[in-house]
Amino acid sequence: MKKDYKMIVLFILPCVITLLVMYAYPVVRTFLMSFFSMPNITAPVGEWEFAGFGKYEKIFTSTTFIRSIQNMLMIWIFGGIITLALALLFAVILTSGIRFKKFFRAAIYMPNVISAVALATMWIQYIFNQQYGMLNSLIKFFNGTPINWLATDMKFWAMLGSFIFGAVGYYMLIFISGIEKIPQDLYEAATIDGASKIQQAFKITFPLLKGVTKTNLTFWTINTATFYLWSKMFSPVDTEASVVVPVMYLYDTAFPSRGSTGADPGAAAAVGIVLALIILAVYLLMNKVIKDDEVEL
Amino acid sequence: MGFRNKEKIPAHRINWKKEATMLPGYIILLVWLGFTAAFLLWILGASLSTTPEIMQGKVFKFETGLHFENYALAWSQQNVARYFANSLLYSVAGCFFTIVISAPASYVLSRYKFICNKIIKSSLIIAMSVPAVMIVLPIYAITASWRNAPDRLIFTVLMIFFRVPYTTVYLLNFFATLSRSYEEAAAIDGCSPAGTFWRIMFPLVQPALVTVTIFNFLGIWNEFFMALIFASSQSVAPVGVGLLQIVNSMRYTGQYGALFAAVIIVFLPTFLLYIFLSEKIIAGVTGGGVKG
Amino acid sequence: MKKLLAIALVALIALSSVFAGGSSESAGGDGIYSGVELNVWSMWNAAEPQGQILQEAADAFEEETGCRVNIEFRGRDISTIINTALQGEENIDIFEEDYTRIGQQYAPYCYDLTEMAAAAGYENNSYALFNNMSNEWAGFLCSITEQPNMGGVFYDKAKFEAAGITETPTTWDEFLDVCQKLVDAGFQPLALDSTYSDFNFGYHLDRYIGEATTRELSLNGGWSDNPGVVAAAEDIIDFVNRGYLASGAPDEYPASQNKIGFENVAMVVCADYVTAEVNNNTGAGIEWGVFNYPTVPVEDGGNGSTASYAGTNSLAISSYCENPQAAFDFIMTVVTGEFDQERADRVPQIPADSNNTCTSLDGAVETLLASDSSLTWTMGLNANGDLRTMIKDVVIQLFEGRFATGEEFAAALDALY
Repeated sequence: MKKDYKMIVLFILPCVITLLVMYAYPVVRTFLMSFFSMPNITAPVGEWEFAGFGKYEKIFTSTTFIRSIQNMLMIWIFGGIITLALALLFAVILTSGIRFKKFFRAAIYMPNVISAVALATMWIQYIFNQQYGMLNSLIKFFNGTPINWLATDMKFWAMLGSFIFGAVGYYMLIFISGIEKIPQDLYEAATIDGASKIQQAFKITFPLLKGVTKTNLTFWTINTATFYLWSKMFSPVDTEASVVVPVMYLYDTAFPSRGSTGADPGAAAAVGIVLALIILAVYLLMNKVIKDDEVEL
Repeated sequence: MGFRNKEKIPAHRINWKKEATMLPGYIILLVWLGFTAAFLLWILGASLSTTPEIMQGKVFKFETGLHFENYALAWSQQNVARYFANSLLYSVAGCFFTIVISAPASYVLSRYKFICNKIIKSSLIIAMSVPAVMIVLPIYAITASWRNAPDRLIFTVLMIFFRVPYTTVYLLNFFATLSRSYEEAAAIDGCSPAGTFWRIMFPLVQPALVTVTIFNFLGIWNEFFMALIFASSQSVAPVGVGLLQIVNSMRYTGQYGALFAAVIIVFLPTFLLYIFLSEKIIAGVTGGGVKG
Repeated sequence: MKKLLAIALVALIALSSVFAGGSSESAGGDGIYSGVELNVWSMWNAAEPQGQILQEAADAFEEETGCRVNIEFRGRDISTIINTALQGEENIDIFEEDYTRIGQQYAPYCYDLTEMAAAAGYENNSYALFNNMSNEWAGFLCSITEQPNMGGVFYDKAKFEAAGITETPTTWDEFLDVCQKLVDAGFQPLALDSTYSDFNFGYHLDRYIGEATTRELSLNGGWSDNPGVVAAAEDIIDFVNRGYLASGAPDEYPASQNKIGFENVAMVVCADYVTAEVNNNTGAGIEWGVFNYPTVPVEDGGNGSTASYAGTNSLAISSYCENPQAAFDFIMTVVTGEFDQERADRVPQIPADSNNTCTSLDGAVETLLASDSSLTWTMGLNANGDLRTMIKDVVIQLFEGRFATGEEFAAALDALY
């Protein structure tokens, strides 16, 4: 085919401009910012003062940042295990020839498409309410003592629970697509050999899901590293230590609010870099540890 | 959701024995579903109740009747109408211009070989996984200096830019699978390459365009982090940020009924969209293989 | 005769200008500020009474002077963005925020209002307390009071009566007696939402070590070395152990304070807006009383401080505002006279104009007029920007009864540094 360079350039240019303006320049500038001190975000480069690794030192000695990293790790590990386990469970149930499969699948995925702000508001204002909330109503019905779900020690788990509820559907769909690509004759052969459904799940389904599990783990990691909305919703008035996450710390450092002394955009940028590095590291690790060599899914 | 169950149910009798082995599966699904339904119903009930009724847990008794005025209050006084219009503007403009930028780029990237092709493709994939926190600070620095640029325009442009890498990458595979014969035939007929794209190739990937637009629409409609920074003023805020402001001011006004009405109003459009398009959305998630 | 004629002439000119002003929309306007535009960043929401009255004042101001006032309702999250916005010189003429933050943080970007205020005789329509504090922090008058509020222990008069309490307590020991009487009469003494836990404990710390020391400790640590901190924490531990906190407290805002309306809880440590909030949320129509946070006399180990919290949400003008006089005149429309009285009645709140009357809380205006210094929000506890969330978390745990001794509490705070 004849190449029309004029057209190629014309077609690709807006996209390239987007990449440069929205991604390349900001990423480079954020990277540079993390090595400088500056009075505020909008300060021109002339006012920047080189700080070496000072900003990284600062965030890693801040107990608030350490707490936010701890919270993030807990979300990653506990949230990850529960979410992926539930997602896999639903995926296995839904692909086992159950009736109304499409309806169930759509219903479980549903929270993913509605505004998470609306979803979080429902959880906070209803499910966890101490006075009239669903959970405490159930407890009272069974004559138990109502629990303060939003006390400092429970709040994190309350937030994690409601987040998981919304997240499961997405990972379930990815698992389902993986399961559906497994050749049916494997199961038929197993059924003839007398393997039960549960045995089939452990012997056939799970081992062949390595590829999609990797996809899911990568998405889960990105999701956790950029976790913000739910923390914000669960600490409406002011940032709270029990649910603080790195992005929230970044926001508070870049845009200082109540009572804090001043902006430190350099430290905020350093938080961004640390998060990006975490995502990158996990991505590389996934590719090394889980190789989808056996079956191309 | 697929209310009209299109599963292939065998015309003959239901195999009860087989169904019985599935029982635990049914129970797990029904518990999950029942929970979802119960809480959505309660929110609906609360949106029609008064504040004291909600606080005392008398939501489904409706002792003082159904308070539809909560919706009127949320819509006009709580400003939901404005948030709604804003979100609609961002989503529609965002979806449209994203396609205008992405589709041509995706087309030439997938069908022509040129020097920077590989680099641009990889850059797009990297850009897709760059977290928003990495880019907001410099972008804030740029936009803050445009004192008189309208916030709405800035946020719309950001949303477009934000969706371009995903959209372009998503469309790559679809353009790549089209047959070369279309272009060859068009060339013989004297159609210019650009004309070939807009008149012939672009319509051919319509299903993919629809799917990716649905995802872009949902993504922009539900955008929160960027909106909090770039569109937090009440007059330009999208529904997510607007709802947060309503929640925050509720402690002063105590209109919990209107709060839940606002939640329902924000929830409803994407929910309705989902009821009609769930098949397409689900196929998009699993088929595309890339995250929205 | 000449004088009379002159007055008549002036009146005629004034009258005609009013009419001209009224019908001048098409002619470009003859009002004194026609052609001027002001951008206001508001901390309210358009649905709140404060927001509605601000909008009404803006409409009236435009009608009167021809000055266009654009209000951007930013909501409470204005506090996270305003600092950066001012630094970036965004298009803001007037903004609303807490006066402590205006005085301590945003003052470099604020217009010096001293002269305009003097010319307008603002001191006669305001509380010296807030103006002095503003001067002290910024070195000049940088903010104008819009919504004053004062702290204390707010109580349900009916429940006090039912428990046979005729006199409000002034010392901590008397306060504990009142709590016991309430418990004996079947009431729960004190509501507490975790949002206000640092405010509540900050008050108690002030009674032992004072605000300045608290601020110092918050910034640099060393809590364990201060016997006052330990004693204050012991008091709270004792208070919690006696069961004087409402069930479920510290609760998620506003669940606990609402129990004053819904259940048998009698008191809450907060600022005066809690009264309107509880009445709105619960529809209970409570008749409220207030007394100062109890003191800890010197002989009991305290410092005898009787200081109380007072603060205000205020209006300020940006330093780069091009029409400061118009902006100032608009602010005066908002915070004095008619519109201020309207706000005091509708919110309800303490009026910003000391000549107006407070219909919701007896004696509030007089109390504010009489004081010349006050405690700030949380009394220095949240002075540490980086650690304030962690400090607050430890304080909440104190109220949750997780520390057995005051030393443990102080050690937990020191572990943060």
